[in-house]
Amino acid sequence: MTARPLPFGDERHLLVHQWLVDEAYLLDAQDYAAWLDLMTDDVRYVMPVRVTTGRAAGFDSAPGMAHFDEDRYSLGRRVARFATEHAWTEDPPSRLRHFVTNVRTFATDSADELLAESAVLLFRSRGDVRESALLSAGRRDVLRRTADGLRLAHRTITVDESVLRMQNLAVFL
Amino acid sequence: MDDPADLTTVLADVRRGMIPAHVYNDEEIFRLEAQRIFARSWVFLAHESEIPAPGDYVVRRILDDSFIVVRDEHGAVHALFNMCLHRGMQVCRAELGNASHFRCPYHGWSYRNDGRLVGLPFHREAYGGDAGFRRSDQRLLPAPALDTYNGLVFASLDPDAPPLREFLGDFVFYLDYYTRQSPSGIEVRGPQRWRIKANWKIGAENFAGDMYHTPHTHTSVVEIGLFREPKAEKRKDGCTYWAGSGGGTTYKLPPGDLRERLRYVGYPDVMIDKMLREWSPAQRAVIGEDGFMVSAASVFPNLSFVHNWPKVGESDDVLPFISLRQWQPVGPDETEVLSWFAVDKEAPEEFKALSYKAYLMCFGSSGMFEQDDVENWVSLTSTAAGTMARRLLLNSRMGLLADDEPVVAPLEWSGAGTAYVGYGEYNQRALLARWADCLETPVRTPSAVGFGTGS
Repeated sequence: MTARPLPFGDERHLLVHQWLVDEAYLLDAQDYAAWLDLMTDDVRYVMPVRVTTGRAAGFDSAPGMAHFDEDRYSLGRRVARFATEHAWTEDPPSRLRHFVTNVRTFATDSADELLAESAVLLFRSRGDVRESALLSAGRRDVLRRTADGLRLAHRTITVDESVLRMQNLAVFL
Repeated sequence: MDDPADLTTVLADVRRGMIPAHVYNDEEIFRLEAQRIFARSWVFLAHESEIPAPGDYVVRRILDDSFIVVRDEHGAVHALFNMCLHRGMQVCRAELGNASHFRCPYHGWSYRNDGRLVGLPFHREAYGGDAGFRRSDQRLLPAPALDTYNGLVFASLDPDAPPLREFLGDFVFYLDYYTRQSPSGIEVRGPQRWRIKANWKIGAENFAGDMYHTPHTHTSVVEIGLFREPKAEKRKDGCTYWAGSGGGTTYKLPPGDLRERLRYVGYPDVMIDKMLREWSPAQRAVIGEDGFMVSAASVFPNLSFVHNWPKVGESDDVLPFISLRQWQPVGPDETEVLSWFAVDKEAPEEFKALSYKAYLMCFGSSGMFEQDDVENWVSLTSTAAGTMARRLLLNSRMGLLADDEPVVAPLEWSGAGTAYVGYGEYNQRALLARWADCLETPVRTPSAVGFGTGS
């Protein structure tokens, strides 16, 4: 990122920051129907697979492979599945806490779109005594202004582990 | 097993289809598995398409042993034990990349990508040259046995392992459906890697033969309209087969000929034409005449496959995908899953893109099928750790009557091995019988190898 982030007092930054925090509360509450409404119809939601490579390699994600590579249809199916009575992996549900921090907002060439960078730490606890799991990631979002407010048009999740220490990604970041 | 009699009892119970529950979370059993299964069997390491160019490498493990799977400058594939001959550092600490040489960060010994030692700093001053350390023809320790089938690279830690083709046996009949849909074979992407608190055998058994879990475990995927097949009445019409070192499950397809049935699961004609040329008459007849389409499968000990055909968009069209996966044991209660997407190299680009999408939605770290599977396996593993689990024998006799006769007669069909229509745990028993055979047979310890001295 070469451009400078918007000042923290800038109204656009405040809007974006609030949007990200509000989103985190929806994800913690697993209110996925409301969360899905925050996506644009052409949303892209991508979480590449990170790999360990030498500094000189010039890449650190697995070519052509992701944990998530979603559009509105596939996100919609995932959300619909959680709404059935048979998504066993989340019944009983996980206790989730998305910690969102290090938020920076950038203006883009389009007046309708803002770019946001953030760090997210997901704490997930299942059952009573099972070890909890953590997932740390950076996010880069394109948020678009619409008549209904900001909507997520593109999210790239840069997870900080090569081998995830979490039994599945029946969660969103 | 402190008392060998305990092991004898465990193996006898397993062989009659009554599984002592603790085998899914038992330190002693795991130690034996490490020595007698994973230090003996052919274990999958990588697919050749992951390392297409000279110098390309991936680093993979067989339990605790790290191997650099690398293509040398002449195109040959090697599996080099990732340990410097001098002080034992890993000479490669990346997971993948391209390198002409691997240099140890400790003292700077370096090895060409065929494993040959080429750099030994101060060889003359420190060792007196070849008089002290004979440098020529020294290599990183190779895997004792290495071979490929359809580009799948396998290694065995047992120098006396039978040839890979012999080990796989008649399972290659089915391997071709997954890995040879055209003369070029598959290309793979990934793997996604994640760790689950589950015993490695559970996934291998599930993929080998558990058609019975599909209608229940995966109800939600049918409910959301992603998948039309797993409904109970459909799944029990399929058959399970066991052949050589592996077995798998199938779906019974609606009436039609070979081409119509391949179209039914979403293959375009341009791919079907190649399958028709590539597969043997018997391989074609399994689909075209008998009406069965391969789905999940496992090769002993820990490699699995899956082939399914979900919807990838709002239309009713389905799209098939293939995944390879490995259940890499970490401990008695932990497994690292490595899950690759695989697709025919010659498939149209549009097909590859949609097939990848189908894979991501269904399997892998975020897959909607896989999510519910893993939840079950974690639950079983944690419950298997206690004292009560040492008393409980899990009934794995589905498909057998009390006198050990099968509930249904074996299927007469064109496929290799032995097959039965309907729900049964034939394959889980076959896999665990193999497991028992290995566990009761000690492995000959290979002699130690030293480098640089002597002749």
